[in-house]
Amino acid sequence: MSRPIGIAVSFFILIGLAAGALSADSSKISKSLVLGALFGIVLQRSRFCFLCHTRDFFSNRDVRGIAAILLSLGIGTLGYHVLLTAWLPDPFSGRLPPDAHIGPAGPLLAFAAFAFGVGMAISGSCISGHLYRLGEGSPTAPFALLGTLLGFGVGFLTWNILYVASIATTPVVWLPQHLGYTGWLVAQLGLLALLAALFAYFARSSTPREAGPDGNPLAQALRRIFVCRWPAAAGGAAVGVIAAVAYFQVQPLGVTAAIGSVARSLLANAALLPETLHGLDGFAGCRTALVSGLSPNGAFVIGLVLASFAAALTAGQFTPAWPTASQAVRGLGGGLLLGWGAMTAIGCTVGTLLSGTIAGAASGWIFLVASFAGVWLTLRLLPAR
Amino acid sequence: MISGRIISAALSLAVATLSAAAFAAPAKEPIVTYEWVQKNLDNPKVRIIEVSVDPGVYERGHVPGALNFRWHTDLVDKVSRDIVSRENFQKLIQGAGIDKDTTVVLYGDNNNWFAAWGAWVFHVHGLGEQVRLLDGGRKIWELKQLPLDTKAVEVKATTYALPEGKPNLRARLTDVLAAAEKKTDVHVIDIRSADEFQGKIFAPEGSKELSVRAGHVPGAVNVTWSKAVNAEDGTFKPAADLKKLYADAGVDGSKPIITYCRIGERSSHTWYLLTQILGYDVKNYDGSWTEYGNSVGAPVTNLAGTVWLGK
Repeated sequence: MSRPIGIAVSFFILIGLAAGALSADSSKISKSLVLGALFGIVLQRSRFCFLCHTRDFFSNRDVRGIAAILLSLGIGTLGYHVLLTAWLPDPFSGRLPPDAHIGPAGPLLAFAAFAFGVGMAISGSCISGHLYRLGEGSPTAPFALLGTLLGFGVGFLTWNILYVASIATTPVVWLPQHLGYTGWLVAQLGLLALLAALFAYFARSSTPREAGPDGNPLAQALRRIFVCRWPAAAGGAAVGVIAAVAYFQVQPLGVTAAIGSVARSLLANAALLPETLHGLDGFAGCRTALVSGLSPNGAFVIGLVLASFAAALTAGQFTPAWPTASQAVRGLGGGLLLGWGAMTAIGCTVGTLLSGTIAGAASGWIFLVASFAGVWLTLRLLPAR
Repeated sequence: MISGRIISAALSLAVATLSAAAFAAPAKEPIVTYEWVQKNLDNPKVRIIEVSVDPGVYERGHVPGALNFRWHTDLVDKVSRDIVSRENFQKLIQGAGIDKDTTVVLYGDNNNWFAAWGAWVFHVHGLGEQVRLLDGGRKIWELKQLPLDTKAVEVKATTYALPEGKPNLRARLTDVLAAAEKKTDVHVIDIRSADEFQGKIFAPEGSKELSVRAGHVPGAVNVTWSKAVNAEDGTFKPAADLKKLYADAGVDGSKPIITYCRIGERSSHTWYLLTQILGYDVKNYDGSWTEYGNSVGAPVTNLAGTVWLGK
């Protein structure tokens, strides 16, 4: 597609999204659509993806991506800290902040997050990454998302066994309940800074700078915004801000509730869904439900994919390709693990890792460490593409 | 010296009178309007409390200065099925800075269902004289696009000891059984939907609390709670309309009344208007259909003839 047509199409997509947001019956739907669109633009423009950022470090010792993830966690933590201290002044009251993604923190979560990490490395991205790449015409993303759907199905079928065996008695650990808000904030930001320093130590000493665009200053600025990749740190900072704003306005950030809900409904329609999913709907996290109309999370995902598509068109990065057999197999296989892991962990790298960690959930940190381990191990074992 | 004291006393009295006059007179009515609440947002003698069903609703924007009572944990006993104990309720209201001269205004989402239920709990524990309901609840506040606040509110705790409770505002299973078996002369009002009343369905879709029998208490009349409110803003209909609504169903207030629903919260809404607006003698049966419809041997009228098949 030629650039002018691409720009024209993306213009109409954004007009359509704005019209959708303005005409939505519920303010939660319209806010979710806008937040999803912003998230999609940020992910596409800065190539913010948990797997790619981690892989950049392993393959090139490029620390910028990892630093961007840590920055998103730091900024998100600061934003959440403001909200949590205002909404629940006493962290020791025994209550948890409303619908923050604080889940059971135990060995099963670590296992699910590890599987998720393996799935990321096999399929080439996390779920939010596949969603924004769908907008770039990625040949793998559709298979990975189909695999995710199937993985969610498997997750629903194994949930009851795992719930009774482990999750029911796993504690839900909220760090501010043990450290106080200030203690948590200091410890968390300190740990993030320490991790950043550690990765920086092992990184290549100088990372190549991308050449700036040519042309007059206005053309340069436009190219920097619409065509060149945004600095990873800008993407990380924006993700942190969007995460806090989303919690304030609608609900914590997450991308799997809508996908999981589709899987749950399909299973229910096929009479394969267990009649009761013990305890599942009582946990705060990326909640699934039988689909009945457009949910806020559904609107968020639609906004994400469409806005990423518009951003990719404008940048000339919409490059659809026919999938190869290997891409299809990797997508499906990796997606299966992504789906099962995200279902069992009640969220993915966005819903549990990001929205959990910045809310002070121990479950967020467990997901971070375990999924990182899964990625690391798989990248070491998997033949490079 | 003495005259100085008199003058200063007179002055402070005048200041107190003036500052009191700045607020509207404390409402004696059981329901207050959103305009009244707006005028009394800063009134230290008024404590506004949100009781909503959905968690996170209060935190993302509440009536400025309002506190939050969570019905799932604050207003019930967390272990046995019961309303909050007197001891815990006393702690709750002390922590909310409620004193003997405080006017408490409750409001909430879902047409004030749980706010009305909270108001009933206040009455049972003896604070009925002090509690009001914001007519229309969150619905009208949002509809009028009035300001919402997100800050948590800090209040000074009191040492207020609860006055004597009124446990007789609560109907027990035995009271309802006696009514069903015509051993007592009372009106029983089932405020659930017509489909539940007739026994076509066991519970509305998505309800987790269920009974293994469908239908209603023999002799009960069905006046669905929603008939008492204006659909557009959630406010109660005028008293004359309400009187007629229940009179048409055969309930005129000449006999004691028992209200029930599925878990006792929507019936509090009806209980509130019947006692507070119409002045009838009413008990709320908080065990409601989930207790009655599960009770072995309790007589049931099931017009639809639905049979429980364990599914």
